[in-house]
Amino acid sequence: MEGRSGDDAFLVDRLRRGDPRAFEDLVIAYQHRVFGVALRMLGNRAEAEELAQEVFLRVHRAIGEFRGDAKLSTWLYAIASRLCLNRLTSGERRVVRLGEETLAWLASREVGPAEELERTELETALHRAIAELSEERRIVVVLRDLEGLSYEEIAAALELELGTVRSRLHRARMDLRDKLERFLP
Amino acid sequence: MTCLDVREQFSALVDDALAPGERAALDAHLATCADCRRELQRFRDTVALVRAVAPVRAPAGFVERVLEAARPDPWYRRLVRGLFLPWPVKLPMEAAAIVLVAVGVAVVYRGTREIEPSARLDSIAPAVRQAPERAAPQALTPTPQRETDARRAQNDARKLKTAKDQTQAPEPPKGPAPAETIHKKAAETPERREKQEPEVAAKPDAPPSARERAMTREYARSRPAPAPGARADAQAPRSTPSVTGSSYAFTPADVSGRLTVSDRDAALRGVAELATRLGAVANRRVDTPDLQILELTVPRDAYDEFVRELARLGRWQPGREPSALPARVRVVLQITR
Repeated sequence: MEGRSGDDAFLVDRLRRGDPRAFEDLVIAYQHRVFGVALRMLGNRAEAEELAQEVFLRVHRAIGEFRGDAKLSTWLYAIASRLCLNRLTSGERRVVRLGEETLAWLASREVGPAEELERTELETALHRAIAELSEERRIVVVLRDLEGLSYEEIAAALELELGTVRSRLHRARMDLRDKLERFLP
Repeated sequence: MTCLDVREQFSALVDDALAPGERAALDAHLATCADCRRELQRFRDTVALVRAVAPVRAPAGFVERVLEAARPDPWYRRLVRGLFLPWPVKLPMEAAAIVLVAVGVAVVYRGTREIEPSARLDSIAPAVRQAPERAAPQALTPTPQRETDARRAQNDARKLKTAKDQTQAPEPPKGPAPAETIHKKAAETPERREKQEPEVAAKPDAPPSARERAMTREYARSRPAPAPGARADAQAPRSTPSVTGSSYAFTPADVSGRLTVSDRDAALRGVAELATRLGAVANRRVDTPDLQILELTVPRDAYDEFVRELARLGRWQPGREPSALPARVRVVLQITR
């Protein structure tokens, strides 16, 4: 049921009716995606968990204000993106850059021993390249290429013009191409 | 359409987000430009790499922690938050702790008063019996018959030593000292004294009680005792709209004057150390927001040194300083900034 619009509509309806299990279902359905956006943007697991938790608490408090003219997932991404960008620009952050530990954790996957080293190196380079993008380009890449949102959904979540989304995404991908050149065939 | 124009469209092309007209123009250019085709392939490969990044998973227990955080607070937490959060100025926990300690002290103090008679019989009376009979009555002035707790009992031996000094002095103090009044009161029945004590404590212009004297002596030996000072703080502005001297609170002194200092607390400590070193006794202290008044009894032999040292602590301006001094000089200091 993760994120499908029919399920989302039903979930929103249950949330509005005060179904005690609805909020739990919402958190279960979206926990990884919200946490993923927070981690990619903030680069610190503890901070990402704190922010992801804040996203769900805001949804819990404000579900009555959700108009339903956007998808539930877009609303969640909008809250998560706004909180991340606010935090990154607030100057209150304890961790600014993606730490080596987080990079290693992000890159760790269960792969065979033969390809492990090469794979880990590529993954680390990928995560580092994404982490080094400017915040406004990074959020667009995260939402588009990692979370699979459409241009329209990104524009709605970030309250940007479609042309701005397109332009930022292109610049971000060009940056990534330069950073990942040695891994390209 | 230039190569630069074409490459600006790569992102939209990869996402299949071009309008049909844009797409046709792009395809026409790519069909004739090998460099742009190569660049487009590198761009596609880059996007493919990024999209192959493994998805992130929330940490174990995340759902439970969110549900726990979303759960309404129990009533007592809401009550505490209701008490503290709406206030424009939050009550510092230190202030709350001080209030609690003050209430505790008051409760203990009230309990102590009820066992005063037995404490006096157990600890104070033997010390009084050991006092030399030939000592003049006024020499026993510091005898702490109204002091009841263990600390006052410890002070007793020191006070008796002072009494001996006074007995051996070549000439007795001139005129009736306030200590004599206290001594007379000390001879009264305990019941009467207990009835009178609250009145004395409530009147800032009353003669110093033995309890206050003992506490200020304690101050002279270490740090200033806050309780009597705090009480004086509260009462001084009511009883003395403008504090100009010590006469409102003290019986006439042999010497009085003003000590102007930059740091009153440091000066108080300095005076206390000085008094200890020279064998002087701090009898009473009154704190007001603007000045602190300290009454001491200084041995005549040490008086000159006392004044010299006083001048080191700040600017000493004696207001009253007779040429002939008694054996025990009563000095009232007004310490101001």
